[in-house]
Amino acid sequence: MVELIWDPIVATAAILLGSLVAYGLLRIGHKISKPRPTSEKVKTYACGEELKPEETHPDSEQFFSPIRRVFKPFYRYIQPAHTGALNTYLLWVVVGFVIILVIILLTVR
Amino acid sequence: MIAHAPILAIVLPLFAAFLMPLVGLLSRRYNVPKACDWFAIATMIGTLLIVADMAPSVWNGQILVYKLGGWSPPWGINLAIDGLSIQMALMIAGLGTLVIIYSAAYMQRETRRDLFYALTLLAITGMMGIVLTGDIFNFYVFLEIMSVSSYALIAFKRDSNAIEAGIKYLFIGSLGTSLILLSITMLYSFVGSLNIADLGAKLAAYRDGALPVPTILIASLALFVTGVMIKVAVVPFHTWLADAFTAAPTAISALLAGPGAVVGIYWVARLPYLPFGLPVGIILVSLGLLSMIVGVLMALTQHDFKRMLAYHVISQKGYMVLGIGLGTLGSVLGAQGGLFHLLNHSTYKCLLFMCAGAVLFRTGSQKFDELGGLGKNMPMTALMFLIGALAISGIPPLNGFVSKYAIYLGGVEAGLPIVTAIAVLVSALTFASFFKAFSSVFLGQRPERLRETQEAPNMMLFPMLVMAVVCIVIGLLPALGFNIVGPAQAAAENSAGYIGHVIGGI
Repeated sequence: MVELIWDPIVATAAILLGSLVAYGLLRIGHKISKPRPTSEKVKTYACGEELKPEETHPDSEQFFSPIRRVFKPFYRYIQPAHTGALNTYLLWVVVGFVIILVIILLTVR
Repeated sequence: MIAHAPILAIVLPLFAAFLMPLVGLLSRRYNVPKACDWFAIATMIGTLLIVADMAPSVWNGQILVYKLGGWSPPWGINLAIDGLSIQMALMIAGLGTLVIIYSAAYMQRETRRDLFYALTLLAITGMMGIVLTGDIFNFYVFLEIMSVSSYALIAFKRDSNAIEAGIKYLFIGSLGTSLILLSITMLYSFVGSLNIADLGAKLAAYRDGALPVPTILIASLALFVTGVMIKVAVVPFHTWLADAFTAAPTAISALLAGPGAVVGIYWVARLPYLPFGLPVGIILVSLGLLSMIVGVLMALTQHDFKRMLAYHVISQKGYMVLGIGLGTLGSVLGAQGGLFHLLNHSTYKCLLFMCAGAVLFRTGSQKFDELGGLGKNMPMTALMFLIGALAISGIPPLNGFVSKYAIYLGGVEAGLPIVTAIAVLVSALTFASFFKAFSSVFLGQRPERLRETQEAPNMMLFPMLVMAVVCIVIGLLPALGFNIVGPAQAAAENSAGYIGHVIGGI
């Protein structure tokens, strides 16, 4: 059954071969058009301000802001519902229990 | 096979836990600071050898029934080890050993190591008992042993966050165990037995539809399912997990994410067949899907390394519950995928928590915004985190891909392709989340204060390396994993065989 699902050796060989070809293409590309970065080009641009490495770190909460926009209802309603308040969480357990009980009643009877 | 192996697998860590304070006392008196570490490691290696010794007999189709005190079931308490139990016991013992080895380095600055190991070994005793026992009340007792030890371990650091997390888990976890106790009480009042096989035999008429299911059985099942789901931490019963895993010592986060996950999923796999055998497939599929989605979306926005991993535990447990749920709807691949995912998840989630622990150990921070560029200082940790991250994201050829692929196919096999589509989407979001984690911690510019950061100690790297190798090997040779989960899935479904062996008293 396993062989029908997935042949990992062939797939791994294909992945490695693909990576090798991609690396080869990259090398050839670099040979044809050589990158010439000047010191100014590799500097972090921040309106002429000198930045410490700590300050160039992306905000981890906003890292995937487009995804936050796609799942807006979740981040507007579900995430703030995780208040950390124990009584709220215990209420969730009770609500969950009632839903499970209703589903079992509907399925069994 | 070692004589009395089933009971020794429980008793060895239990006695070692009770002896640990004495070992701690002697180690302080005679100035042997590593005595507790080595005693705990030796105990776990012994436990692993005992469990491994039982495995060949079980994989040959035998169900080991150990009668405590020589009393035959259902009158006496018994341990029953089938293919499902042995998979779980091997995982608890194997991963438990690696976690204890990791702890020897991670907890080296801690002066109360004897207390730490005593609680950890007690938690492992509880886990082992849960998966080996054939008695439902003993299951509750072992669950309490595991839970109470876990509450104390989560609050082990004694700072405000740890104590708050411990108390939260104490309240929600105790509610879960109370619901399970209430369910067992109802079952006992209705059936008059506490033996799982005997309960299964006596409830067979309701399972087959020969008799209408009485209300007390429905209430008992609902209470039991809710109690187990609190322990598994699927949505909406997941609320204790993120705080607990964030605040606990990282070795304990790894223990609860790896071997701890085994315990809940063991009962999720058992539940559709024994002792109730009533249909719970729709509940499992629904809760599994909900957990996958909520877990991964919560994980995406976290800025704490361990908290992000904690939300991924919820999401990945969703996959397992979903797979097992699909199994009850007729998909063999789904059920095998769910159990296989447990095997894989326990390995790479332990690995990922250990990597987070190594970073915390060396830098003193677990906030993404305070880290960066550590790939240069901690290349081995970075490499192993990358392997774990790719595995959890279901990237071929690592182990996570194989089990997720089986679950995807299980969705199609059960006639629910939408489930497969959601599972693939969640995998993509998981990858996105770990991309952020890897780039925030190991890539980019390194803060000035981290310039002198060193690689994790070898004692921490060793268990991480073992798990990274397991991720690669199982990914390349998935037959190894299927050879373990195949008998486990067959054993879970073979309730008649289990009942026959236990009541027959082999």
